[in-house]
Amino acid sequence: MVSQRERQILRDEIRSRGAKLSAADREKLIRPYLPDPSELSDSKARASTSTSYGSRRQKTPRKKPIRTFLKSQLHQLTYALTHIIFGVVVRLIQAYHAVVDRIFAVVYHHHRTPELIRKDVRGLKRLPQHLSVILTLRTEEDALAVLMDEVAELAAWSACSGIPQLSVYEKTGALKFCIPALHQIMTTKLASYYGSPSQQPSLQLFAPHHPVHGGAPSPKSDKASLTLLLLSSTDGRETFVDLTKTLAEMSQNGKLSPQDITPELVDAEISEITTQPLQPDSAQSSALSFNPEPDLLLVFGNLLKLDGYPPWQIRLTEMYCTGDRSYGTTGYGEAVEYQGFMRGLWHFAGAQMRFGR
Amino acid sequence: MAGSMHLSRLRNWFLASPPIEFAISNLKALLIGALRQGPIPKHVAFVMDGNRRFARSHGIETVEGHNLGFEALARILEVCYKSGVKVVTIYAFSIENFKRSKFEVDALMEMAKVKLSEMAQHGDLLDRYGARIRVLGRLELLKPDVLAAVNKAVEMTSRNGDRVLNICFPYTSRDEITGAIRDTVEDYSTPLWSAKPAGVAARALFSESHIALNIRAQTTGSGKTHDSHSDTGSTSESSTQEEDPILRNDHSQRVYESESSFSSSTTLHLGGQQEGQHQQQSNKNTSQANYSSSEAENPVYLSPETITRQTLSDHMLTKGTPPLDMLIRTSGVERLSDFMLWQCHDNTEIVFLEVMWPEFDLWHFLPVMLAWQRRIAKSRKNPDAEGNFAGDSPESTSEEDADAVLLRQAKVKAV
Repeated sequence: MVSQRERQILRDEIRSRGAKLSAADREKLIRPYLPDPSELSDSKARASTSTSYGSRRQKTPRKKPIRTFLKSQLHQLTYALTHIIFGVVVRLIQAYHAVVDRIFAVVYHHHRTPELIRKDVRGLKRLPQHLSVILTLRTEEDALAVLMDEVAELAAWSACSGIPQLSVYEKTGALKFCIPALHQIMTTKLASYYGSPSQQPSLQLFAPHHPVHGGAPSPKSDKASLTLLLLSSTDGRETFVDLTKTLAEMSQNGKLSPQDITPELVDAEISEITTQPLQPDSAQSSALSFNPEPDLLLVFGNLLKLDGYPPWQIRLTEMYCTGDRSYGTTGYGEAVEYQGFMRGLWHFAGAQMRFGR
Repeated sequence: MAGSMHLSRLRNWFLASPPIEFAISNLKALLIGALRQGPIPKHVAFVMDGNRRFARSHGIETVEGHNLGFEALARILEVCYKSGVKVVTIYAFSIENFKRSKFEVDALMEMAKVKLSEMAQHGDLLDRYGARIRVLGRLELLKPDVLAAVNKAVEMTSRNGDRVLNICFPYTSRDEITGAIRDTVEDYSTPLWSAKPAGVAARALFSESHIALNIRAQTTGSGKTHDSHSDTGSTSESSTQEEDPILRNDHSQRVYESESSFSSSTTLHLGGQQEGQHQQQSNKNTSQANYSSSEAENPVYLSPETITRQTLSDHMLTKGTPPLDMLIRTSGVERLSDFMLWQCHDNTEIVFLEVMWPEFDLWHFLPVMLAWQRRIAKSRKNPDAEGNFAGDSPESTSEEDADAVLLRQAKVKAV
């Protein structure tokens, strides 16, 4: 740590654009703060000393063994102590958050009523047009059923709060194999929220390289619509590998020069994968417009990590983690809850959630 | 207002008094030493956000805010390197930042130039810390004088130790990814046998002919085979020598040949079998001739199917550095803003802090590090748990192994 007085000198020096002090002055100023050359664990330095001062080298390691031993013991003690204290603090924070979460869960409950959900988001300044959620497949036996139920719930909440696009990332891609079943579950779920099919929002479900499931929204009706995109880790970095393979092949055949590869080209190619599903008939192709870049990324859990989420699209995405960030210990596996979803939306709008609606 | 100002002056005076300063610096050293006792992330990235907002809220000039930000950077670098972080990557300037006011861009460039040239002046002092500076980004967008300072600083520190400071200077991640794709495509669209074969190319050539010849040498014992072997084998020998300069394979091949002749001479061959083999051999010779003629007509490339994620990662600007363990962004903005998109892999912990960058210090960094250490310790205790972190880093597993060995020893002693 540089002392206050010397910091002042340095700052004055910066203001005068490095004109006041010479290089030697600066070195004199910094020298006390540099580590002792003997302390550095640089093997190269040690090797050079051993060759040049063969006899004197014997002295350096034996300089102060008791002091270094005591120092390392002290450091270990401090390490243990800080972690005990930190552990206690983390537990307290976790307990506090658990209580707050329960209160929120009681106060903010959707009761499967679209009107209530709409009321919860009414005061918000902005809503994400494309919401993305990272979910994890748990290890239990009925994990897939739980996951599909979570997706259906999320879809219902999004539809009710007026978010037109929802993408769900699940690492293994298990959801992609059961799109028809998922569509069925989601329709049932929407029915339990909205009631009769005439009031239900139209639902479109697709995954990259899969055809769209569900009818396109009729342009005349003012019904809400929801487009759901299923993503998995293969849509992330693997896509770039595939793109590079194709480009390399084209370049080898002389169809493309490497200089033609620009961010715009990559952007167009990568975005196409998530925006243009396989079309069963070409007439429908213009019906679907999907913004590839999510506005908000929700992570249900204590820890914000991307778990292999497609890298290209999240350049400007806001990220929100429902758990008590950065003190997380359990990692993943927090349940998908309505209050977490709502807190994410409120946070995105820059608003503070309060107790009581 | 006046009261608070007096209070802050009093506080500053108190903090600047020698005993307090001494105590604080010792406490910091102790805490850093304590941090070293646990697992430490190898690669940490910072987005130094909030310099401008800090300046605005404190009523000072934007440029001054950037200067304070540089001080914070020096502070945090010291903490990182002392606690054992190997690579620190900082987001200094985005390509998008060129759109800011000309005054600010010029001031930032000036600051970078001054700082880098100052660093170059103290080459021997930097040696002690042993940090190597690398500048990542579109260097061609810089002005010549800044570029010269950059090159000088990079060159000065290039022989330093294993610590690395990556400065992302005019950088965006999308640009980096595109560049990696472009470089990979360029690598793969260079004909293998045109000018001089690369190491991989030589290996591919080696395997095809060599295997076929060895099979023949093993199965037939005639002197004709040996002749052909030495004929075509010479190319493969030279190619292997290119990738492995030690005079090893010449000798080994001779040994191998004698072995094969030995085995073929001892095995009894039926006449019919030999005839069939001769036929096969002639077939092969013709096919080989065809092959070489086709190779002369159109160039041969590496197969694009061999491109993997690792290939692309090796073409990123951050190649050669350990995977990113932690990304910290200050000032409460919860976006990546086109930084380290590719490098934020499955287990990178992203931390958004409310504090402005000029105020960032050990006190904000410590809880993040402690939480990380706690998590790593937990995931090591039960590696099957979800969100396991340390599984893929080789060193941690070796440490685990060492722990296991220690445990076993302890048990043996107890028995």
